[in-house]
Amino acid sequence: MELTIDWYIGLSAILFSLGALGVLTRRNAIIVFMSIEMMLNAANLAFVAFARHLGDLDGQVLVFFVITVAAAEVAVGLALIVTIFRSKKSINIDEINLMKG
Amino acid sequence: MGSGSVFIVFILMALVSVSAAVMMLLSKNAVHSALWLVLNFTAIAVLYVVLNAPFIAMVQITVYAGAIMVLFLFVIMLLGAEQLQGISGVHGTERYHRAVAFVLVALLVVGFGVVIFNGGTGGGETAVIDASPVALGLRLFEAYVLPFEVTGILLLAAIIGVAVFTRRKKKEA
Amino acid sequence: MGIFGLAPLLLVFPLIGVLFNGLVGRRFVEYNRQTGEKWSGWFGSLMALSAFAIAVAMFFGLGAHEFHAETVVLFDWIHVGDFYVPWAMQIDTLSVTMMLVVTGVGSLIHIYAIGYMHGDPNFSRFFTYLNLFLFFMLILVSGNNYLMLFVGWEGVGLCSFLLIGFWFDRVNEKGETMNANAARKAFVANRVGDLAMILAMTLTFWTFKSLEFQPVFDSAVEMFESGHMVHFGAFEATLGGVLTAITALFLAGAAGKSAQIPLYVWLPDAMAGPTPVSALIHAATMVTSGIYLIVRSNVLFEIVRASEVVIPGINISSPDLVALTGAATAVFAGLIAFTQFDIKKVLAYSTVSQLGFMIAAVGMGAYVAGMFHLITHAFFKALLFLGSGSVIHGMEHGHHHLSHGHHDEHDTFDPQDMRTMGGLRHKMPTTFAVYMIGSLALAGIVPLAGFWSKDEILAHAGTNPGWIFTVVYWMLTVAAFCTAFYMGRQLKMTFFGKPRHAAAEHAEESSPLMTRPLMVLAALAVLGGLLNFPFFSESAYKAASEAHDYGINLALEHWLEHSIASFELSEEGIVHMPHTPTWIQFDVAIISTILAVVALLAAVFLVYRNRWQTADERDPLQSTPIWWMAVLPFDTLYMKGIIPLFNRLADFLGYKIDWDLWHNFVHERIIRDTFVGFANFASDVLDRQGVDGLVNGAGQLTRWLSGGLRMSQTGYARTYALSILLGTVALLAYFLWPVIF
Repeated sequence: MELTIDWYIGLSAILFSLGALGVLTRRNAIIVFMSIEMMLNAANLAFVAFARHLGDLDGQVLVFFVITVAAAEVAVGLALIVTIFRSKKSINIDEINLMKG
Repeated sequence: MGSGSVFIVFILMALVSVSAAVMMLLSKNAVHSALWLVLNFTAIAVLYVVLNAPFIAMVQITVYAGAIMVLFLFVIMLLGAEQLQGISGVHGTERYHRAVAFVLVALLVVGFGVVIFNGGTGGGETAVIDASPVALGLRLFEAYVLPFEVTGILLLAAIIGVAVFTRRKKKEA
Repeated sequence: MGIFGLAPLLLVFPLIGVLFNGLVGRRFVEYNRQTGEKWSGWFGSLMALSAFAIAVAMFFGLGAHEFHAETVVLFDWIHVGDFYVPWAMQIDTLSVTMMLVVTGVGSLIHIYAIGYMHGDPNFSRFFTYLNLFLFFMLILVSGNNYLMLFVGWEGVGLCSFLLIGFWFDRVNEKGETMNANAARKAFVANRVGDLAMILAMTLTFWTFKSLEFQPVFDSAVEMFESGHMVHFGAFEATLGGVLTAITALFLAGAAGKSAQIPLYVWLPDAMAGPTPVSALIHAATMVTSGIYLIVRSNVLFEIVRASEVVIPGINISSPDLVALTGAATAVFAGLIAFTQFDIKKVLAYSTVSQLGFMIAAVGMGAYVAGMFHLITHAFFKALLFLGSGSVIHGMEHGHHHLSHGHHDEHDTFDPQDMRTMGGLRHKMPTTFAVYMIGSLALAGIVPLAGFWSKDEILAHAGTNPGWIFTVVYWMLTVAAFCTAFYMGRQLKMTFFGKPRHAAAEHAEESSPLMTRPLMVLAALAVLGGLLNFPFFSESAYKAASEAHDYGINLALEHWLEHSIASFELSEEGIVHMPHTPTWIQFDVAIISTILAVVALLAAVFLVYRNRWQTADERDPLQSTPIWWMAVLPFDTLYMKGIIPLFNRLADFLGYKIDWDLWHNFVHERIIRDTFVGFANFASDVLDRQGVDGLVNGAGQLTRWLSGGLRMSQTGYARTYALSILLGTVALLAYFLWPVIF
């Protein structure tokens, strides 16, 4: 069986969907956050696969940037979680609805 | 490395990563979830190597599986948030998790082994290009130097932002 | 341009003086009385002298310029539509004459004041005002338009107010602030004339579309020659009629400033100011600005005379009214002067009387004669006032000397009361000599300055035909007689006889700082007649005019004709300007001289021969009708008749017309209530119900709609994530639709 790009895209899609599922189902803010990381990884995998497929290095460069931004995002996001935990003594996102209209 | 072994590696790694992802979602303990995610990341790193992206693979291991996930674990333990979860609807058991983990790690090792012992890349329809860290570095610092600098500023902003967020007010301290 | 470029300095120098004395002069004086006064006083005097130097430069500049008038534009002042007024200085023979008088006499009085004001706590304030006065007076005489003239006019009025009230904190025995009251009186009386001035200027602009002298005169002459009517919107008037109104208003303005009937009442009270002020402002310069105004506007007056328009009701033309007003004032004030015991009040009424001479002269068209008398009067009246100041100073000195010996708490000594003087000729010889010269000059004794100028006016009145001229001639002759009489009385009371008060016995001559300016003025009073020396016979005049060489004769006339005779350019002899004789009229001269000598001798050797042995003696005229006539001055009439009437009228206007009718009814009832009603309608109906309803309705609608939408904002991160996922799936479906199906 020939290993084409379709396989990678398929795997990427599955991982992305699982990540999305995690975001939507879990109540622990940290787990939700980890799920988001997984979705980012799924996207990264698609980038690298396309880079390989097209013979272009730009895909990999983009992944590099995604990882950098993800690092920053994690830092800020975790800081937010810590701050929220401090004030509400909870990181259950079902209890956090400050943005309610 | 022949296309056959590459296919095997892909299948293995796909299995490992998907399973790890599922386990991450099912774990009651946040620490366990984090560890499942590390597994997931590592498997994808193997796929990066297969896809002729050694530098990205390294970054994936060190930054993602290493630094970022350590940060996650650190926060989880700092807050004592391991048990704060519970899945909306789905429940699993510890033993079952342990077995799955064992199998998946084994598969990961096998996949790594295949890749390492059979050399770098393989598969794909087009010609293999130079994707060494040197080539990637040159591309980064020539065509993408401005976005690169902007990311630097972004990181700086993140550092300052985090410092501001987590600073305790003097009264509380 | 050349030398005329210096003209602005004429205004700059006094202004520097104002700034120096106003800002820092006080510090100098407070720091060191002695040297501070010198700095303050001499700086002010130096500025006056500098202005005089500039005026002299202008004089020679005009000579080199063949006497052509020059306009120095400093900047545009007002430029709105048709209304253009530059800030420009008119340098012509008339204005330069006035500048020379103002700055020349002004400089001498500045110097004199250094001595006179010595020791006054507000020394530098005095010099500030004096310089400010010079500044405004020079604006008045140098402006090339009526508006600038008016600025100066108001400015000198202000300075006059400030200087009359210079000792505003002094109170008399009744506790009244007499000086401040006098200042207010002067200010208010002047306002009446100023209102007339404003009306006259408005009418002038309306008629001629300009306020600049030359354009106004040019278009007046042109309109006169073409016989056009003047259009005021819907109605029209003859030029003569309009100019009659304008010139009559000018007369009212001049009557205020130059103290003519019926507005003269402020001038005698103005003697409350320091004596140098009386000399400079209330004798030599400011009070002559009314004469200057009429001379400056001579074209307008002559057109009225030529168009033979009369004022309805009294049937005399406005120039004739000017002449009669002046003559009446001359006689009336001359008579009042008989009855005064205050040395300065005599001179004040004398000034009013002499101003009457000048007004009468310019009203008769004898502009040169009027200006001539203005100049000579400036010399000898300044001299007399400064001399009286010297006398007062001497008396105060004597009184001061006395009170050192024994303190008299209830001493009501008045250093200006002539009844307490007497015999001062031995105590103050210099003052006596110059005072004598001044008195004789004023009385019109040959060959002093006053004789020539007064005689020229009398000759003008005596030689021109018409009942007006005859009446004016006889009135002025009587006035001249009065002049000589009250001056003789004053000399007798002040300098002759025996001292009637201990203060007079101990009086001392004033300092050289004060007497030297007096000597200069005395010299001018002697020689002033040379300014416009007449020919002695008709044949001499004819010979000179054929040879075109007038020598020193008629210098002022030939100098001023470049400013005054402009109207005679009009052709065809339609204008019959009264003609001033250019050679001496022996009949007039002899009559007036004899009358003057008789009056002087009568006063000294007949009426007051054995009088004034003691200070409380009655005046021999006190029981005669003259006294009663003169003691009933206009002042009383004002106080008893006009002021209550005026008050009642003002009350009526103020309370009934203005308050009840205008304010309460028109403003409150009609305008305000209508407005309030409309405003209520606008605010309640239109705004609150209409606009507010619309706006609030829009707000309600938005709130109602958003109420539904905000249900979707749960605040739970999961909801948002789900909606993002939905969007993603939708996009995916959109993209994949063609692929799958």
